[in-house]
Amino acid sequence: MTNLFVKIKGYLGEFLLDFEHNFNSNGITVLYGSNGSGKSTIISTLAGFINNLETKIVLNDKIIENTKIFPPHKRPFGTMFQNPILFEHMNVNQNLDFPINRNKSLNKTLIPKEDLINHLELNSLLKRYPQNLSGGEKLRVALARTILKQSDYLLLDEPMSDLDIKTKARILNFLKMINKKFKIPILYVSHSIEEISQIADEIILLNNGKKVSSGSLSKILNSNSFQKLIGKFESSSVLEGILSETNQLMKITTLDVNGQKLIVPGRPGLIGNIVRVRIRSRDVIVSPVRVNTHITENQLEGIITNIYTEKDTAFSELVINLKNSKINKKSQLLRARITTYNLNKMKIAENKKVFIYISSVSIDRQAYQY
Amino acid sequence: MEAFNFLNSDLNAVLITLKLALTTCFFLALIGTPLAYYLAFKSKKVKPFLESIVTLPLVLPPTVIGFYLIVFFSPDTALGKFFILLTGEQLIFSFYGLVLASIIYSLPFWVQPLQASLEKIGKDTLKTSESLGASKFDTFINVIIPLSKKGFLTSFIISFAHTMGEFGIVLMVGGGIHGKTKVIAISIYDHVEQLSFGKAHFLAGGMLILSFIILLTLFYSNRRSIVRVK
Repeated sequence: MTNLFVKIKGYLGEFLLDFEHNFNSNGITVLYGSNGSGKSTIISTLAGFINNLETKIVLNDKIIENTKIFPPHKRPFGTMFQNPILFEHMNVNQNLDFPINRNKSLNKTLIPKEDLINHLELNSLLKRYPQNLSGGEKLRVALARTILKQSDYLLLDEPMSDLDIKTKARILNFLKMINKKFKIPILYVSHSIEEISQIADEIILLNNGKKVSSGSLSKILNSNSFQKLIGKFESSSVLEGILSETNQLMKITTLDVNGQKLIVPGRPGLIGNIVRVRIRSRDVIVSPVRVNTHITENQLEGIITNIYTEKDTAFSELVINLKNSKINKKSQLLRARITTYNLNKMKIAENKKVFIYISSVSIDRQAYQY
Repeated sequence: MEAFNFLNSDLNAVLITLKLALTTCFFLALIGTPLAYYLAFKSKKVKPFLESIVTLPLVLPPTVIGFYLIVFFSPDTALGKFFILLTGEQLIFSFYGLVLASIIYSLPFWVQPLQASLEKIGKDTLKTSESLGASKFDTFINVIIPLSKKGFLTSFIISFAHTMGEFGIVLMVGGGIHGKTKVIAISIYDHVEQLSFGKAHFLAGGMLILSFIILLTLFYSNRRSIVRVK
């Protein structure tokens, strides 16, 4: 288990960054925050490019001192910045060899170059120069190059802000694979909820230079501090289900979410895969009684655990536990956003059973295998 | 026989000019390159100050630089003594006096194109290289130099051409001594003063054609890069 302790404190101009976190997971940790919340500063400090902040960085009992003693090239991190840069005077293969030729210590978990080339489909690109690559191709090369540094920790600073959805999905899947297969923990900076819900194992919420909260994906996504941070309009929850059935004719897929069925469009994976689906709170329809006609593909049941009524708006937010007494799994929470007017009309309250209707049309089509 | 002597002295001036230009470029590479690097990547607060100093030789009359050089490097000053220790001669009327004057005079011509080219490479490229395990020196040799080849070429060609063409400062510091500090530009001046227009034509035409070829090569090979020298 890799353990990384980070403490950074200090002013950057008027901005106070005061961050402390103990990373002790081998998974993918997402650092989430809006622009200007200090995410990139944390990455740059870890990578050794900012030296006017008070820092304490300890990786597996090894203290990483200031940049004079530990300049960037001696740090055990593989860093990728926003808008990754390839060396224009080298072809793809030479770019990939750049960190390999500079790796003096032989790491125990050596990731073979051939493996990365195959997984990231770089074979046909090896002889090409960066000028002749598309944005997605460049990113794949840069990612492979960063991984080939064979570092103890990967730091990825919003590497995919410019990519189209399909390429993004492929690379996110790849990152998960790399993380699992080679056991390199990843710190991933993002302010895209889609990206988070697809890859995060843990989330750290950052606001105005300070850590707001941290924890597992479902805990954070359902926390009020997160909902506050992302704004009401984006309020959503992520459900995890096992892919149980695909209907090729209708082009739909059925997921088993805690024993309840959730039908999603397309084919997000193979049978048995775990799939995450993000559902926006405003797309969830709640009813105190079962609707006896078929109105949406999905009808789920749950117990209301919390109701938050907003005093200054027309809305209320419900947190619903999709509990299933037969399967004693971790509970999955779903958020629904309705008007307070409707809430009063329906006469629903905390701890009451409700029926939930979700149209498959509203489900994000990028539900990825995991 | 007399014609041969003249030709010999002109040939000497050509050789001295080439030697001066090459030596100057050599020292500019040593001094101007770190300066351009510092200006492009490091300096923040001192940048305007440093840039002003580097650009000064562009706007000052060469005689001003020459005057101060002669004053500061006169043999009774510490600088003057140091110069004698280093070269064995005092600055005025010596070849290395010319070199020093040319280094100062051509400094902006080395620094500015190189700085522009380094700025185009950008800090992020340096950061990428360092985060991939390359030290600063490693990065300079294997990333910066190959990526700024055109910048180096531009700096070299312009500084070379500019050093070949200087007159005022060379006359002031070097005095135009035959076989020692007399460069082509001064030879031409002497020929014209003596009304030997034929010989002047020979050297002036040569300079014109050579300079044109140099600039043509430069702009042809470098069509897209910016030359910031006025």
